Amino acid sequence: MWGRRSSRTFVIGTAVAAFVLVSVLPLAYMVGLSLAGSRSTSSAYGALLLDARQRALLGHTAVLGIGTALAATLLGAPLGVALARVSLPFKAALRIALAVPVLLPPYVVGLAWIYLGGNAGLIAAIAGQDVLSAWTYSLAGAVVVLSLVFYPLSMLATEVAVRRIEPRLEEAALLVTAPGCVLWRITLPLAAPTTAAAALVSFVLAGSEFGVPGLLRVRVFSTEVFTAFAALYDFGRATVLALPLLVLSIVVAGLAARLVGERLIVTRRGATGTRLVAFDGWKWPVTVAATGALALALVLPLGVLVREALGIASWVTVLQGSREAIFNSVILAAVGATAVTAIAVWLGYARARATRRVGLAADVLFVTLFAVPSTVVGIGLIGLWNRPGIIGVVYGTDAMLVLADLARFVPAAALALSASVRQVPVSHEEAAAAGGAGWVRTMAHIVVPQLKLGLLATWIIAFILAFGELGASILVAPPGEATLPIRIYTIIANTPPAHVAALALLQSAVIFCPLALLGLGVTAGGAR
Amino acid sequence: MTVPFLGLNKVTKRYGRRAAVDGVSLDIQAGESVVVFGPSGCGKTTLLRLIAGLDQPDEGEIWLGGRQLAASSRNMVPAHERQLGFVFQDLALWPHLTVRENLGFVIDSARVPRIERGGRTHDMLRLLRIEPLSDRYPHELSGGEQQRVALARALVGQPRLLLLDEPFSSLDPDLRVVLRGELAKLQRQLVLTTIYVTHDREDAAALADRTVTMRDGKVEAVTGTRH
Repeated sequence: MWGRRSSRTFVIGTAVAAFVLVSVLPLAYMVGLSLAGSRSTSSAYGALLLDARQRALLGHTAVLGIGTALAATLLGAPLGVALARVSLPFKAALRIALAVPVLLPPYVVGLAWIYLGGNAGLIAAIAGQDVLSAWTYSLAGAVVVLSLVFYPLSMLATEVAVRRIEPRLEEAALLVTAPGCVLWRITLPLAAPTTAAAALVSFVLAGSEFGVPGLLRVRVFSTEVFTAFAALYDFGRATVLALPLLVLSIVVAGLAARLVGERLIVTRRGATGTRLVAFDGWKWPVTVAATGALALALVLPLGVLVREALGIASWVTVLQGSREAIFNSVILAAVGATAVTAIAVWLGYARARATRRVGLAADVLFVTLFAVPSTVVGIGLIGLWNRPGIIGVVYGTDAMLVLADLARFVPAAALALSASVRQVPVSHEEAAAAGGAGWVRTMAHIVVPQLKLGLLATWIIAFILAFGELGASILVAPPGEATLPIRIYTIIANTPPAHVAALALLQSAVIFCPLALLGLGVTAGGAR
Repeated sequence: MTVPFLGLNKVTKRYGRRAAVDGVSLDIQAGESVVVFGPSGCGKTTLLRLIAGLDQPDEGEIWLGGRQLAASSRNMVPAHERQLGFVFQDLALWPHLTVRENLGFVIDSARVPRIERGGRTHDMLRLLRIEPLSDRYPHELSGGEQQRVALARALVGQPRLLLLDEPFSSLDPDLRVVLRGELAKLQRQLVLTTIYVTHDREDAAALADRTVTMRDGKVEAVTGTRH
């Protein structure tokens, strides 16, 4: 079926070509341009390495990444172990609620913390004086905000890793020692590679985050890339600044993929987790701790936004003023998510059915591309598409925003869908082929129907991510065409906080709707 | 009447509406070797897990050495305080620890004086003839070697009761006979009280002082002689 003229080769080949065009070429072009060897670029690299200001930038970026990775792991990993092993009340709902912060755009959470700890925030209002703003607008503040956004990565990865551990290994230890010791010496060491990989991903995502450092006035590489391009119109400097971030993401993503190897793709085994009686004694302390984490990471920020938004004079005015941005965002996110899913399903299929070596290489590539900072993706897209001729026709249209979604989210979607495809046994396809069905018929009637839940989940997650995308969109958006995230980010400085908070809440509400749909889909799928 | 070393009194365990173990009562004397025999799904493994404290009974009582371990649908003594050895069907050797470390983990947890720990581990490695393998990881061992390590790990803490859940089921017939013989020899040498779960009649015949036959969660027959 892999013959030159086979339908499978054609479909997969087309998907791979589209992937290379939208995800790989912009970055390859940017790297090529940056390394072209012009004199200005060389001097820019010299400045980057020698200038104390740039070294401080490097230090800030490193502290932001390392601090976030550590704090997110310290919060997320214990929650992941608890979800995998402790019998908790309303566990499914608790898991979804605890995972929500990673789906909220980080700048929305950052905004909430400004309204909480800023000089005119809730704490200042209660205390009667500004007590926290110096801390809120600091590197430490950015670490706290991003940790509360990214801890679900550590939580979910650790939960999956612990579920994969054969429960007999822990039971064998429970026969000779107390549950705490079993956790420390058996469970955690076995789950450590996956938890470490999640920490590395948090490190890269925090180091490449644009919205939160920008809001909290912390200077890091990603904000400098944006400033170099958008404020100083210095494309050469922007590419030079982007390159260290790109190299960092490649190294760390490669390391993460190597740490977890084939386990990067989650399979259904042990999906419900195994309850161990010995851990039942932790039920209520863990429930209290998880509720506390939920209050801190989700209820508090949203509560602060609600409180702030209560001050608006009229919701109608807010909605009318941003109607176009909201409409643009929903339509573009829907188109982007559909395109992402359409390409990713074939890439996921190819990865799932590839040989081990090719599969691992594909994993590294997907993780690396997903880890590339959004502002770097934006610079790459501009470099590739902003040119005269037929290619340039696309530049300056809304298609650039869809291209940004494709560049950023196709790799992650392909990884997720390859996990779904792996759950369809190859023998199902072989049985169809033996029965005389061609590949297209086999896919349409045998494989794709079994991927329905995976496709729905991928589309919804892609929609949520595309709807909240800021770093690349803000660079490639055509003049006058704002999405909701761009509008929120650009009106913060000169619009009443109540108005901004209302828009941020609206942004969150649009994200919760498909998330609820996904929850229903998962529940229905589980019931089947 | 002698007080039994292990006593099960009307022990029941349900999963949903199905009773995996249904009102089982059984007395076992110290030093006795009991084989629990029956077809797959008859409740043998569940019975072992209840005795070990890895699951809790819904009804009934479990006593060991005059101490009540479980009653009224709760475990009064947690698994790690029951001083039991357990050889799992899949052996459950900790993959990130070497053979010596697998045994060391048990010794460290068993409140053995520090000065005795090395000697105890060494003796057990020698007894099971796995001393040369002590620095290897489980995946570097053959099936038979893994079985010996699992047995050594279960014994090194000097358990009051040894529980074995079809430990030889995945081995080829020749190796199975050899290891079964070694286990019988160890039982005699160490005067072990053991409960051995199997669905293999030859295992039952070779190892049992008494055979308890189970079907549908209930004890169907007890054959053989008590000590």
